[in-house]
Amino acid sequence: MRKHFLTSFMMLLLVVFLAACSSNESSSGETEVEAESSDTKEKQVVTFWHSMGGAGQEALNSIVESFNSSQDEIQVNAEYQGEYDESLTKFNAVAGTDSAPSMIQTFEIGTKSMINSGQITPIQEFIDADGYDMSGLEENIVNYYSLDGTFYSMPFNSSTPVMYYNKEAFEAAGLDPEAPPATFEEIIEANKAIVESNPDMKGFALQAYGWLWEQLLANQGALLLNNDNGRTGTPTEIGWTEEEGKSIFNWVKQMVDDGTFANYGTNGDNMMAGFLAGDVAMFLQSSASSRDVIDNAPFEVGIAYLPHPEDKERQGVVIGGASLWMIDGKPEEEQKAAWEFMKYLQTPEVQAEWHVGTGYFAINPAAYEEQTVKDAYAEKPQLQVTVNQLQDTKASYATQGALMDMLPEGRKIMETALEKVYNGGEVDEAYNTAVEQFNAAIEQANAARGE
Amino acid sequence: MNMSNPMIESTEIPEINYESVKRKQRIRTFAKGMLFLLPSLLLFGVFLFYPLFKTLYLSFFLTNARGETTVFVGLQNYLGMFASPIFHQSMKSTFLFVLYTVPTTIIIALFLAVLANEKLKGIGFFRTIFTSTMGISVAAASVFWLYLFHPSIGFINGILEMIGMESIGWLTDPKWALIAVAVTTIWMNLGFTFLVLLGGLQSIDSYLYESADIDGASYFYKLRRITIPMLSPTLFFVITVTIINAFQTFGQIDILTQGGPQNTTNLIVYSIYREAFTNYQFGTASAQAIVLFVIILIMTIIQFKLGERKVHYQ
Repeated sequence: MRKHFLTSFMMLLLVVFLAACSSNESSSGETEVEAESSDTKEKQVVTFWHSMGGAGQEALNSIVESFNSSQDEIQVNAEYQGEYDESLTKFNAVAGTDSAPSMIQTFEIGTKSMINSGQITPIQEFIDADGYDMSGLEENIVNYYSLDGTFYSMPFNSSTPVMYYNKEAFEAAGLDPEAPPATFEEIIEANKAIVESNPDMKGFALQAYGWLWEQLLANQGALLLNNDNGRTGTPTEIGWTEEEGKSIFNWVKQMVDDGTFANYGTNGDNMMAGFLAGDVAMFLQSSASSRDVIDNAPFEVGIAYLPHPEDKERQGVVIGGASLWMIDGKPEEEQKAAWEFMKYLQTPEVQAEWHVGTGYFAINPAAYEEQTVKDAYAEKPQLQVTVNQLQDTKASYATQGALMDMLPEGRKIMETALEKVYNGGEVDEAYNTAVEQFNAAIEQANAARGE
Repeated sequence: MNMSNPMIESTEIPEINYESVKRKQRIRTFAKGMLFLLPSLLLFGVFLFYPLFKTLYLSFFLTNARGETTVFVGLQNYLGMFASPIFHQSMKSTFLFVLYTVPTTIIIALFLAVLANEKLKGIGFFRTIFTSTMGISVAAASVFWLYLFHPSIGFINGILEMIGMESIGWLTDPKWALIAVAVTTIWMNLGFTFLVLLGGLQSIDSYLYESADIDGASYFYKLRRITIPMLSPTLFFVITVTIINAFQTFGQIDILTQGGPQNTTNLIVYSIYREAFTNYQFGTASAQAIVLFVIILIMTIIQFKLGERKVHYQ
């Protein structure tokens, strides 16, 4: 009976499996039909998984559309798959099967785990085969995405964190709206003036967001992980010193104690809504939101560099955002088609449109010479700040950014620690717990790799 | 010889036949029974038992990002989990959450059901209103509450400020976040609980009330002596389902707080999700899932042992 049960069990598994396969076939069949009906026959279909919502999605869709209509050999189907980590989870589930996309957009901290996954073809192969010149791209981006001189993925959307501020609130508080505070200490002072002039408004908001924590570290020249941020060897523990780490916590603690800090927890949308509603005068966020913020604010929005502690020189920022990965095990034709699309995305015209439409900066500096960008700068000079900040960045291991597969977990740990301070917790306790957990996470990740 | 041989055979053969027929029949009935059970066994096997054993298996390993096992660590995942303050917090929050939501949901739903059970004009309207939250998806309800709880432009803080109170960081203050999520959950579960309880109330025979009326029993006496005892099987069902639901809460958390602030709303299912799909530690995630399974199993056994004694079945 047991044998019977086992065989029937296997049969059912088979049935389920077949059903899953056939549904895949039918869905890919549909896309082919779509491709055929749209124009001439035999277009090469490229499935592109991305994580761009809102304004980014609109801009991306229009780029994909113009690529599809610009030639008649390749049909790119852009599919939104949720946030980066959601999309990565889905990808891990289908990797190696026919349902896997031709290319996928993944955030910068996923770089290491994508390489370790063994499911991707390094784009260096295409660069070499094609003789494509990557040196035209922004230097800092090349720094982040080339590992020992090899490109594993194609940079695409890159942003940096900037400080948004409400110019009207600055004026009302007697501050110079054209000279925003640049250091932690200056922000503390500015906060007091703002709250004094308008008790209903808080001075500063820092979303509990691990990415911002990483950026505030890098801006002081601090490493996130040892072994040069994991660039010269596998990291074994955190890379920042106690002084560097605590400077951020103490800064936040001071603002919380002053009553000038607006706590929006981990929710970036709430923070933005609060800023637009005039509840807080300054906040840090990715420059990718700049178009949204500027367009929706009923007041004039200023954009400034990321702040740093007074006793440290500004080092600049790490590239945030995402890159495009070529998936392994796809037919050569499909990969070539995807490569064509990747190259198209790097062209100055496309990058100009992308930069202006979103606030991500152009990874191809030639885009800044395009008329669209010049027009946009004339109208919204704030957009230029993000580009300047990137170009002012000093190249070092700190600003190159960290490489490790446990970074998403590390972010969560830092977010929890920051929230503790936001809610009146002690700096020492929050900080020490976080460091302990961060190190444990690194250890666990190394152990899981069997190293 | 010739005579005796068939005699022996004839006496022996029926006996052997009898035995084997009996066995054959038993096997046949067993096979028939299994045939009827086969669909459910298969479904259970594929969707419950296989994942259960796979989870158990995974909980003894470390995994890579794709969930493939890499290193066997024995009980290390369990030991690490029980030593972790994050897991303690998560267990504490989960039990608090159950405590906040289950009794409140049932009491409010029972109250509404008793009200809506009265035969009044237009009662259908109220019944529809009270069940309406059933038709709202977790995601939609959570987004709706997310805006109500918004720290500065939210409706609830607006009211608090209007009556001169300090506004509250509903989803960002560790003291309030779990309560805020509990309120959302109670609101969402109310419709279903109400509907089931109303159904239970309506199936109580009216002759019981008629005889009580003849005896001159008061309204509350009838409620205590007839309604609640007759409703007990339904109540029992509702309590079990609500507790299990509370332990398995996920959607609201994901949308409202993402487990924050300071992990106070990091309920166990969310914690499992985070371990598996943010941290890619499928081993620890599986260990937590096993713990959740054991807890729900124990809770259910206790409920059946305790509950059945008190429940009145007709």
